[in-house]
Amino acid sequence: MKDVLISAKSLKKEFYTGETSQTIFENLTLDIYKGDFTIIMGASGAGKSTLMYSLSGMDRPTSGSIVFSDKEITEYNDDELAVFRRKNCGFVFQQIYLLEKMSLMDNVLTAGALCNDNKKDVIKRAKELFSLVNIPEITQKKFSTQVSGGEAQRAGIVRAVINKPSVVFADEPTGALNSNNSEAVLNVFTKLHREGQSIIMVTHDKKTALRGNRVLYIRDGQIFGDCDLGNYSETDNERERKLDRFLTEMGW
Amino acid sequence: MRKIKSQLIYNLKKDKGSYISFGIVVLITAIMLNLAFVLLFQVDKAYDDKFNRLNTASFNFTILKIQNDDTLKEDIRALDDVVDIECREAVFAEAVVKDFRDTDFSMNTLFYNKDEFRNMNKLDIKEEKAEMTDNSIYLPLYVSAFGEFGIDDEIVYEIGDTKHSFKVSGVAEEMQYGNYGKGLMGAYLPEKVYEKFAEEYKEQTVMEYSVITNGDINTLQNEISDLTEKKGITMLTSCDRVSTKDTRTMVCNLIILVLSAFAMIILLVSVFLCKFRISNSIEEDMVNMGVLKALGYTGNMIIAGVVLPYLMVTVFASLSGVVLSYSVLPVLAEILTLQAGFSFALSFDIKGLICVMIILAVIVSLFTYTSAKRIRKLQPINAIRGNGEGKSVKKNYFPLDETNGRTKFLLVMKQTFSNGKQNVLLFGVSFVLTILVAFAGTMFYNVIIEPDNFISTLSEEMPQIIISPDMEQEDFISDELKSNTEIKSVLKYAVGTVNTDDMPVTVFACEDFSRVSNDLCYLGENPDEKNEIALGSAFEGKYDIGDRIEMHNGDISHFYEVTGFVQSVNYQGNVCEFSLEGYEMLCSEKLVPALYVYLDNPADTEKIFKEIEETYSDKIISIMNYQKMTETTQEMYSGITSVIVVVIFILTILIVLFVLYIVIKTLLVKRKQELGIYKAIGYSNRQLMIQTIGSFLPSSVIAVLLSSALGMIYVPKINQFIFETIGAMKNNMEVSFVFLMIFAFVQITANLIISILLTKPIKKISAYALIKEG
Ligand SMILES: Nc1ncnc2c1ncn2[C@@H]1O[C@H](COP(=O)(O)OP(=O)(O)O)[C@@H](O)[C@H]1O
Ligand SMILES: [Mg+2]
Repeated sequence: MKDVLISAKSLKKEFYTGETSQTIFENLTLDIYKGDFTIIMGASGAGKSTLMYSLSGMDRPTSGSIVFSDKEITEYNDDELAVFRRKNCGFVFQQIYLLEKMSLMDNVLTAGALCNDNKKDVIKRAKELFSLVNIPEITQKKFSTQVSGGEAQRAGIVRAVINKPSVVFADEPTGALNSNNSEAVLNVFTKLHREGQSIIMVTHDKKTALRGNRVLYIRDGQIFGDCDLGNYSETDNERERKLDRFLTEMGW
Repeated sequence: MRKIKSQLIYNLKKDKGSYISFGIVVLITAIMLNLAFVLLFQVDKAYDDKFNRLNTASFNFTILKIQNDDTLKEDIRALDDVVDIECREAVFAEAVVKDFRDTDFSMNTLFYNKDEFRNMNKLDIKEEKAEMTDNSIYLPLYVSAFGEFGIDDEIVYEIGDTKHSFKVSGVAEEMQYGNYGKGLMGAYLPEKVYEKFAEEYKEQTVMEYSVITNGDINTLQNEISDLTEKKGITMLTSCDRVSTKDTRTMVCNLIILVLSAFAMIILLVSVFLCKFRISNSIEEDMVNMGVLKALGYTGNMIIAGVVLPYLMVTVFASLSGVVLSYSVLPVLAEILTLQAGFSFALSFDIKGLICVMIILAVIVSLFTYTSAKRIRKLQPINAIRGNGEGKSVKKNYFPLDETNGRTKFLLVMKQTFSNGKQNVLLFGVSFVLTILVAFAGTMFYNVIIEPDNFISTLSEEMPQIIISPDMEQEDFISDELKSNTEIKSVLKYAVGTVNTDDMPVTVFACEDFSRVSNDLCYLGENPDEKNEIALGSAFEGKYDIGDRIEMHNGDISHFYEVTGFVQSVNYQGNVCEFSLEGYEMLCSEKLVPALYVYLDNPADTEKIFKEIEETYSDKIISIMNYQKMTETTQEMYSGITSVIVVVIFILTILIVLFVLYIVIKTLLVKRKQELGIYKAIGYSNRQLMIQTIGSFLPSSVIAVLLSSALGMIYVPKINQFIFETIGAMKNNMEVSFVFLMIFAFVQITANLIISILLTKPIKKISAYALIKEG
């Protein structure tokens, strides 16, 4: 039996644009387990990102409850959420969003400084993580605009995990990358997952989805399907067939 | 053009608040500039028009009737360039006007026969009664308007011991005399009243000569004084076109100068603001511009999109400013009338409009264009990649892994330095803004808080009480007063008139110039020995320090050595200073100087004045509450000036707020996405606020403090320029370091409050929305 890490109940999210409102999901209930590499799939505009950012305390659901590591985070105010995020959540974005005016290393340390006052420790961990994602020292000193998309995104992952978050949230992290770069980035995620890191990743790419062990499908504002794939392995073709069948069923 | 239009509208909309604030700053500049221009173009002209319409003489002088010589008129007429000459009889009296604005105002007055035909120095009757009484008088507009004497009011002239009460039956504008700061005025009596009055003061009846010349006024004066000197005639009074105009338009000129200086500094502020805004909007919109370039827009089209909104705002705001200024002008004209002594209407001035528009439009477009020029060099690909101009290699300031220190502090330093250019501009804006504050604040300080500084610049020695003692009692009274604990000091001081080259020169003689309260000397030294003299600024250039000059009084004359130069705005520098012994040498009788009394607390003047008056009533000829008279003069000079200064001061505060608003807003808009990222990572609002404010506050704080401190140097320079232009070589305007620092702190606090108010909304936006918006 896996431990529940995030438990969402009766979630509802509405967007108001002027006069009209749009309900993205309603009465949505969902458990996320510790140690899982959870994939969220669905058509474009289905509300994948919206759901993920709600779960992570980056955005607020219109109503409903989210219990994250036994804490009700919907009751937190802005600053409490910020403090909560720095300890529990790491974010990886499609647009990467590294801070432009500093080196990759400094981007990572900027996040690291939030949870650990021992600078030496933080630097040591950053260096280890950089070598884990294969970014050499010379590149660590470059700016985000001076490195390839793949390198930038791997630095983004280092930034996301520097504070040993409970969950890494990744919103289409390979969406803007070519296939070589994608591969390298996904390998980092697999590596992290194997070390026990919980990950929630939004994607609409089947190959990417294969990296996860659980695939959720969002449709009509609901968790339309939930598929247990088992852990990733490069050689197991059965998983790929299982995912194909699942997605066909979902109307992908 | 349509393509540019969409860009332009996009730019305007994107940043409404900033354009509105910029517009308001330009609007204020335009109001100030237009006021200055309209005054400059119209007051002078209105003055000359009225001067010519009344056929006013270029030079007037009086001599005692008994000295008059029929040949004098013909001799003057025969001089080169003399167009016309007129003689008329009058009574000269050293009079004191009672109840002039609640005080006794000493004013030498020439009483004329109003009904005598005047070809020159005509009167423009403003108001009059149909019936005359046997004590009717017509007052010059000056005395009537400022002294608050209306038709049918009683006015009392005290001449010697006699009080003459008149009933005001008319008010006339004349262009002959200066203002009462100069202490010489006219008064016009109906024929019957005059005849009676002249009978009483036969020995004071004078001949006034009024001369019109085509040529130089100084040459004429010199030629006439040569003539009178040859004939052994002494001039009692004189006034000439130029110095009369100078005194009457002095406050107006001062206002023009203050307004222009103020407008120039605001202009400087707006120019820096433009530069700041543009270089920032280029950075903000880099990607957009890159995309537009990639789509095939030319550099100039994009530049037009950036520059045109500023130009449009400028044109619109300066037009509105010019229009708005006309609502202020009538009020300004009315108050100026009090000081200028003639009424005038200010009308719409197309020249002013054109000048304001050209100055503002040209300067703003020039600066916006040069700031926007670099858009042309922007490579689309670099722009899209957010690489800026491509060429600028970015430096990672304070690498966190290699620099010692707390990361959160280092982050602030990083922000400060990686936004270096922005901070330099911010420094510039804050610096010039502080010049504005320092200038307006100093004006405020010297006109409103310490008005003596301003007034003493425009006037002469200002004791609280002046006593004319009986000759034998002088030393006795002086000694007794000195022992009075409430009295700070007592000075023997004499004022009179002597001649040089037969021109009347006002004399200030004092027992010890090192003890005066208003040291007039701006060059060299005050006279100390009896053969020394300090000359008014009118003589600078003609004489040097160390030269010898001959001074006459009646038949007596002596040579004096020039020790320095003194200023006197009221007398257009036509003054001199002697030591008491020095002046005595020129006097035929024993000189009895007045006692100038200075109090520890000027607020007690009324009380002590009464005490002295009672105690010594039998030992003094007259006693004057000079403090009160000073206040009255002060009202003339500072009344309107303080209105202007207060307005300027309020506008300054508004400008400071608007500029800070634009600047800080700009800084934040640019950082919005960055802030979103920080928020996503888990930085709290408070951390981000501190970090953001911390990254730009220091440069503006340093600029404000530095500029305030340097204000001690540049504000006196600005003041010097302004006051020298109106003839005050040395001004007593004080630049208070404490005051400047107080303002610096107010400015810094405003900075902080606005920053906090503007950074607050970050709180409301979720990190998610910030990221999505970016
Ligand atoms: N801030 C917002 N305001 C209004 N509508 C929004 C906002 N954010 C997202 N939406 C809408 O919500 C829906 C889901 O968006 P999103 O979760 O980003 O979809 P995706 O599944 O592609 O990630 C979309 O229709 C989008 O237009
Ligand atoms: Mg999405």
